[in-house]
Amino acid sequence: MSAKIGVYICECGPNIADNIEIDAIIDTLPSLEAFQNEELVVKRFKLLCSNEGKEYLEREIRENEYSHLVVAACSPRDHDSTFINICKKTNLNPYLYKMVNIREQCAWMIPDKEKATRKAIQYIRGAIGRVLKQSELFEKELDSNPDVLVIGGGISGIETALSLAGEKRKVYLVEKSAELGGKAAKFKKLLPRQGGSSDIIGKKIEEVIKDENIDIFTETELESAVGFFGNFEISLNCSRDDRSETEFTVGAIVAATGFELTDAAKLSQYKYKKDNEVYTSLEIEDMIKSEGKVTLRSGKEPESVGLIHCVGREEKGYCSQICCNYMLKLASFLRKQSDSIEIKDFYRDLCLPHQQDQDFFEEVRGGGTEFIRTADVKIKGTHIEYTEIDKKKNEADVDMVILSPAMEAGKGTENLAELLNIPLSETGFFKEEHQQLNPVETSIEGIFITGACRGPAGISESMLQAQAASGKIAARLIPGKKIVPEVKVSEILEDFCVGCQTCMEICPYGAIIFDGERGVCVVNEAVCRGCGNCAGSCPSGAIRAKHFTSPQIYREIIEAIR
Amino acid sequence: MNDKDKILIIGAGIAGMEASLLLAKAGKSVLLVEKSPITGGNTIKNEDSFPNLECSTCMIAPIQQDILQNPDIDVMTLSEVKDVEGEAGDFNVTIDKKARYVSLTDCIGCGMCYEPCPVTLKNEWEENLTEKKAIYVPCEGSLPNVPAIDPDHCLNISGKKECNACAEACVFGAIDFSEKNSEVQVNVKAIIVATGFDLFDAGKLSNLGYGKFPGVYTSMEFERLFASNGPTSGQLLLRDGEKSPESVAIINCVGREELGYCSGICCMDSFKYSHFIKSKLPEAKVYNIYSDLCMPKKTYQNFYKRIKDEGGNFIFQSSPQQVNIKESGGKIKVNLAEGNGAPESLSVDMVILENAMVPTKESEELGGILGIELDSKGFFLTRNENVGTVETSRPGIFVVGCAEGPKDMQNSVIQAEAAVGRALSLNKIKGKVKE
Repeated sequence: MSAKIGVYICECGPNIADNIEIDAIIDTLPSLEAFQNEELVVKRFKLLCSNEGKEYLEREIRENEYSHLVVAACSPRDHDSTFINICKKTNLNPYLYKMVNIREQCAWMIPDKEKATRKAIQYIRGAIGRVLKQSELFEKELDSNPDVLVIGGGISGIETALSLAGEKRKVYLVEKSAELGGKAAKFKKLLPRQGGSSDIIGKKIEEVIKDENIDIFTETELESAVGFFGNFEISLNCSRDDRSETEFTVGAIVAATGFELTDAAKLSQYKYKKDNEVYTSLEIEDMIKSEGKVTLRSGKEPESVGLIHCVGREEKGYCSQICCNYMLKLASFLRKQSDSIEIKDFYRDLCLPHQQDQDFFEEVRGGGTEFIRTADVKIKGTHIEYTEIDKKKNEADVDMVILSPAMEAGKGTENLAELLNIPLSETGFFKEEHQQLNPVETSIEGIFITGACRGPAGISESMLQAQAASGKIAARLIPGKKIVPEVKVSEILEDFCVGCQTCMEICPYGAIIFDGERGVCVVNEAVCRGCGNCAGSCPSGAIRAKHFTSPQIYREIIEAIR
Repeated sequence: MNDKDKILIIGAGIAGMEASLLLAKAGKSVLLVEKSPITGGNTIKNEDSFPNLECSTCMIAPIQQDILQNPDIDVMTLSEVKDVEGEAGDFNVTIDKKARYVSLTDCIGCGMCYEPCPVTLKNEWEENLTEKKAIYVPCEGSLPNVPAIDPDHCLNISGKKECNACAEACVFGAIDFSEKNSEVQVNVKAIIVATGFDLFDAGKLSNLGYGKFPGVYTSMEFERLFASNGPTSGQLLLRDGEKSPESVAIINCVGREELGYCSGICCMDSFKYSHFIKSKLPEAKVYNIYSDLCMPKKTYQNFYKRIKDEGGNFIFQSSPQQVNIKESGGKIKVNLAEGNGAPESLSVDMVILENAMVPTKESEELGGILGIELDSKGFFLTRNENVGTVETSRPGIFVVGCAEGPKDMQNSVIQAEAAVGRALSLNKIKGKVKE
């Protein structure tokens, strides 16, 4: 059966009509040899995007029972969705339609009317050629599981669990250690702008334990996660014997595995070892939490303390963004502990990016902490040698040195990235799908990253990221609602596949698996996002990106340049 | 919340747009109120965004387009919230909707109406670096791509003269001089405030010479100068419109000391400008005068390294208050403080001031209308007994993006998504706060 193609040319008022001979197009197209076997209906209308135009087009599609549709008008950016919606209202599959831009790319570009008309004809011919090679595609609805797996029981994981758990949504909270709370539970005091209270994390742990929609697995790690957004099959490795149910399905996964401090002992300029009076920030935090004060190993309170910023920053290649504030907090604590204590703060650049931070800095400086801007700091025990910003060399002796080592991704990060098939950034943290526009989701749809495992973050930021991931999950994984995966996905023609697995390496979404038994690769359509990279990479041409197949593209080009 | 519950979002910048799209995805109905005639806020003024120097328009335009085409999002431009009554789950909101005088449904954005308009005005959106007509879009690529008429200057609307020039040029009959401002009443369950920021008035610091010497620019002026849809189509030309600068000094932290806070993004902006200048004028000398380099994200320090490798000169000054700018022999003389290894002075053609982010001038009034508190710097306060939150002092009203304080695009989007999460679980929150 030959095709019946409707070709509609929009005048766009004078925008197209004045610069292109639309009647010449109407005369030319049906006489073209290339389409002699098809039935071509070519018509013009003054403004197809107007309500009148939309009604006209809908009526035309119904009355003429077209098999294919081409609309030549403005930029698809403006109105592709307008015409797709009209197709959807009729019985015409929208994947048998194509829009051509003869306004921006012809009428507005080429002052010579004849040349503009010729170019428009070429474009429309290309589109007719293409639609003839297009196939119908159908959106499928899939059931989805609203439950969520949260990996990491620190502040970010806890906040995620609390934000999401509800009557219709269960949250599985997995923590590898025996206790919930993570690093944040170590802090006795927060920043003044954060209310300064220590109780936030304690209260949240209580809430999580009480919440019957949150299932907590301590001493547990992820063993495997297989599936896609809406349907991930999870298997846990639990070292406790009171948990038997360690396999279940969730719709989304949140990694909130936190950070570790970089090992100061590996940085030669600090000669850090655990038996002298040099401490790391978290050691001091432990001390404050357990003793209520900062003391030397002898139990005596120090009379002078040197605070050292940016430990490991150069080596890691990034600023950890919370240490300046952290050191201010410590200086403020030490000042409260002793009126007479001498505090020297050795910093390079102050990174105080919140609008209330500088007030705190002024308060601490006013309280008698000496801030020394340095280009370089070395320590030999508690003897500090430093170079000031104007290159002047200087030195100081103190009773105690406190280092603020850089934050780095926790030890299990790499392993978890592999299990979840999500990428790492060059700094070792998990990588977001898009730094600015999709900052808490990964390249795998349905897998999220929050808190310090996605980059240095303080408590407030970790909580906000947790709420952001919760927002993205709550908006898209609605209990009882089905999800519609992308239909323009890749397919592998198994007769041609030699099982070389090149496509698996190329696929950024982990959508392709290798079927060892049959020796071929297989696309998981629910994971594939239709980028087409695999189709381009396949050495045997066995992969087809639906709606962007080679015959479609070739035919469009052949007709356009014929 | 029910499926079709309505949520009000104030401000159509990146944070407001992200929140709108996500709520629409969740099946909610969104009313997005924007005071200007277009969406996109401050982010669309950028040509490229740091740290990856991605084209901002390419990043933002699809989002703007999605907003306009989404049937669940009602975009109300040229509109401002005037009154809010009620409580979380049941707010009655009054909105002042100004007339656009051009129909959003009939206009196709062909632009035939601008040229015949006899009135020429300064284009404030372009930092007054270029002109517009009384019927205008702020810049090429504006979305919605439909002009608005400035009623104070349009001869017809202001009653100065019987002028129909634009209406005659419009073949779609999209212009309606008789359109009236209106008041819209709407009931919403929650409100998300995403009103963004303004920039500190650099003219307040007399030592920096802004407004006095034509070679001194603010960061936003420079941003538009570089933009390919800006006043010079992206050519880096001085105000005479002919010469390109051979040397540029960028001064960071403008207003930081006066305001008492660091804006957190200007250092990154200044690195970007250094790169912009080098990309178009490879021979130009660029000096970056800073007091603290603030580059707080995992990828930001790498960007700094890249700029240093490209030949950016970094000069330390403990504060811009130490810098003194004069004009001398057709050049701008940037006098620096002694010590710290800095040169005594620089002679340059152009100075860019990185002026601090400040609350919008409407913040205080809007705070009163919404009944939410401001912090000591004038930004909207989040409930400070509750760390890490987007909730304001009034339940059911959330604040996101730079309306809450200076931040980059990433943190604005994170807050927007967080507010959506909170709004979607409003019943849970409400139960805690007040039933």
